[in-house]
Amino acid sequence: MSAPGSAQPLLRLRGLSRRFPGVQALDNVDFDVLPGEVHALVGENGAGKSTLINILAGVLQPSHGTVEMDGHPIVLPTPLAAQNAGISVIFQEFNLLPHLSVAENVFLNREPVRGLRIDWPTLYSRTREVLALLDIDLDPRTPVNNLPVAQQQLVEITKALSFKSRLIVMDEPTAALSEREVERLLGLVRSLANSGAGVLYVSHRLAEVFQVADRISVLRDGHHILTAPTGELTEQQVISAMVGRELVHTQCPERYPGEMVMQVRDLAVPGAASGVSFDLRAGEVLGLAGLMGCGSTEVMQALFGLQPRSAGEVTLQGKALVIDGPRAAIHSGLGFVPNDRKRNGILPDLSVMHNVTIGILDRMRQAAWIDRTQERAVIDGYRGKLSIRYSNPSQRVSGLSGGNQQKVILARALAEDCRVLLLSEPTRGVDVGAKAEIYTMIDRLVEAGMAVLLQSSELPEVLRLANRCIVFAGGRPQGELSGAHLNQAAVMELATGLGAKEVA
Amino acid sequence: MTFGTTESKRLSMSRVLRSAQSYTVGLAVLAVGLVLTLLTNRFLRIDNVLNVLTNASVVAIVGLGMTLAIASGNFDLSVGSTAAFAGCVSMSLVPALGVPLAIVAGLVAGALVGLVNGLIMTELRVPAFITTLGMMSVVRGLALIYTGGRDIYLYGQTEYKVLSGGHLLGIPMPVLLALALAALLSSVLAQTRFGRHILAVGSNLPSARRSGVRTSQVLWGIFAIVGAAAALSGMIISAQVLTANGRLATGLELNAIAVVVVGGTALTGGKASLSGTLLGAVLVAMINNGLNLLNVPIFYQDLTVGLLLLVALALQVERGWNPLTQLRRTQ
Repeated sequence: MSAPGSAQPLLRLRGLSRRFPGVQALDNVDFDVLPGEVHALVGENGAGKSTLINILAGVLQPSHGTVEMDGHPIVLPTPLAAQNAGISVIFQEFNLLPHLSVAENVFLNREPVRGLRIDWPTLYSRTREVLALLDIDLDPRTPVNNLPVAQQQLVEITKALSFKSRLIVMDEPTAALSEREVERLLGLVRSLANSGAGVLYVSHRLAEVFQVADRISVLRDGHHILTAPTGELTEQQVISAMVGRELVHTQCPERYPGEMVMQVRDLAVPGAASGVSFDLRAGEVLGLAGLMGCGSTEVMQALFGLQPRSAGEVTLQGKALVIDGPRAAIHSGLGFVPNDRKRNGILPDLSVMHNVTIGILDRMRQAAWIDRTQERAVIDGYRGKLSIRYSNPSQRVSGLSGGNQQKVILARALAEDCRVLLLSEPTRGVDVGAKAEIYTMIDRLVEAGMAVLLQSSELPEVLRLANRCIVFAGGRPQGELSGAHLNQAAVMELATGLGAKEVA
Repeated sequence: MTFGTTESKRLSMSRVLRSAQSYTVGLAVLAVGLVLTLLTNRFLRIDNVLNVLTNASVVAIVGLGMTLAIASGNFDLSVGSTAAFAGCVSMSLVPALGVPLAIVAGLVAGALVGLVNGLIMTELRVPAFITTLGMMSVVRGLALIYTGGRDIYLYGQTEYKVLSGGHLLGIPMPVLLALALAALLSSVLAQTRFGRHILAVGSNLPSARRSGVRTSQVLWGIFAIVGAAAALSGMIISAQVLTANGRLATGLELNAIAVVVVGGTALTGGKASLSGTLLGAVLVAMINNGLNLLNVPIFYQDLTVGLLLLVALALQVERGWNPLTQLRRTQ
């Protein structure tokens, strides 16, 4: 790891504050980024990270305080000004034009021209130069929408580099990447820093942060809590700084499996998975783990009738299950928490209460009318049970934080009286505090006899919740782990195809 | 604490205006009313007011149906054609069935057209825009073929006129019908499962499906209602002149969409303001009436409605509604 030593800071924030009506998003934040340094910025949702990024991107203006580059105060009234100041921001949502090629995207608005026409050979060769710098193997002529997400991200990075930016800000760059792609990206981040640029790496994922960062800064509720060299911090310290309290439990509590609830035999999902068989009992959590693209996501979808299955039998409480769509699945006792809350979960314009009761309106009718007293009782019940935080049940669900939205979706599935809960990435995009709450909630449900099938790409999550785990690779189950055999090393061994078949 | 995202942190002028849009329409109605009262001496006369309200009601009835379609994230361009078709069918059946049954037949014809719209969308997976654009021509063609391009008159069957000329306590029948429909649809939207499902489908279709909502059936229901509402308007228009033909109610679709949007219902779906639609229809009718009273040439009426629509849309655009993504929205 490079020791930046006494170099003059590339970026320095002095007393940076930003107020929104009713919220102090940033309060007197001071820290700096040195040239050649990877500086990680961590914090829960709502800690002020996005506000800070937007100020550096020239999208928002600070209410107080200054941004300095090379010791000189600068103002960033527009994104263009930020670009000219040598700052590139790679947002979580890419800003690529899908139908244009890699080269066109990288040099958008700066295309080399000959007369009035674009000089294609020069455009391509210059793009190849930048790609070579990063050791990226991409054809500059490929349309961006033909590329997988990971490579689109590389295009964003290439673009940032082509500006000869000296400060590169990355907002949750690995959110959509598989583990192998993450490794690759982290290597790239390292080499960017080694070439002298400063990298501000904003992420939730502490494992990566500890792997790549030279220093770590923590924000909480708009305040700067600490900045320290990575070597002087432990993960536990950073988490406590983020949430302001010590977190308990990283171990799975004892589970007490009861009667058989669901049996799956030889399930196959065309193009995604095959040969999937398992039993699920009441009071247990069965994990489906594996690297991204291993087929476990599709298995969950197929069980809920969102993907066609070509073979296999599913029995639920002794009855063969015909699942031809989500409605049938719900009626046979399956509850589903989808992995993409925004797209497939919430009904953003509807109230918190209406989001919870949407699937059970049949049950709450008096003649043609919905019984509002009953509806109110349902939401009041889940508010306590799942500690959903809202000010008013008629409040729009889109105003809640990610964690609370996730609890609303969980409440919806529970309200439908499911016997088996299918959880797909149940804490994706949820901050650390809410994550712990959701885990506790799942523990309580399982204790009360719920059968849970958990699919997650976060290994610590699987280890925290599941008492058994089936590991997938390349669309096929590689083996089942439980008890002392269920640990990080064993799962990774199977997930990467190194382990032997049928371990437990 | 509602400031969850950076998006919601941006407070803009147009956002303030939008949140007040339902009041804005009400205020606009009052303001235009005041101006017309001052500029003309005829505006506030009872007969003129009733005339304005009657004209507003004809558009409002379609607009109320359209509000459901827009709340579900769709819209229906075929309502003008449906109005003409249903008007012709209904009036031609009066001699054979008598007035009450002929009116029922007209409503059924409209609902069937709507059902076909819905089926094309859910079964053939054609977006609403394309489906109803096609059906706009198809149904117009059917109306012209059915009538052979000629007018249908009702000699001596003035009973049919009850639709346009009837009164209750001095209130014209079209106004009563519009109010009754608004009351009915309001309670459907707010208090029934179907109403809740309409908003769910409009807010987020994949989420609604995953929550067990039968999204296809919801769309069939919505479009059948829109079709029946269009039919009712078409029959009122026919009753006003006791004549129906295939060219009836051209352009009604745009007026209907305009009053919904002016009334503050977002084109993004998930929300509906039926009272806004009523007020929007009154506003447009008042402006047209005012232009008449002020002897402004009739061509300026289209211009004014168009401008009003653009202003109302401009207030919505920043919310993220994009005509292009709307086109790509599939079932």
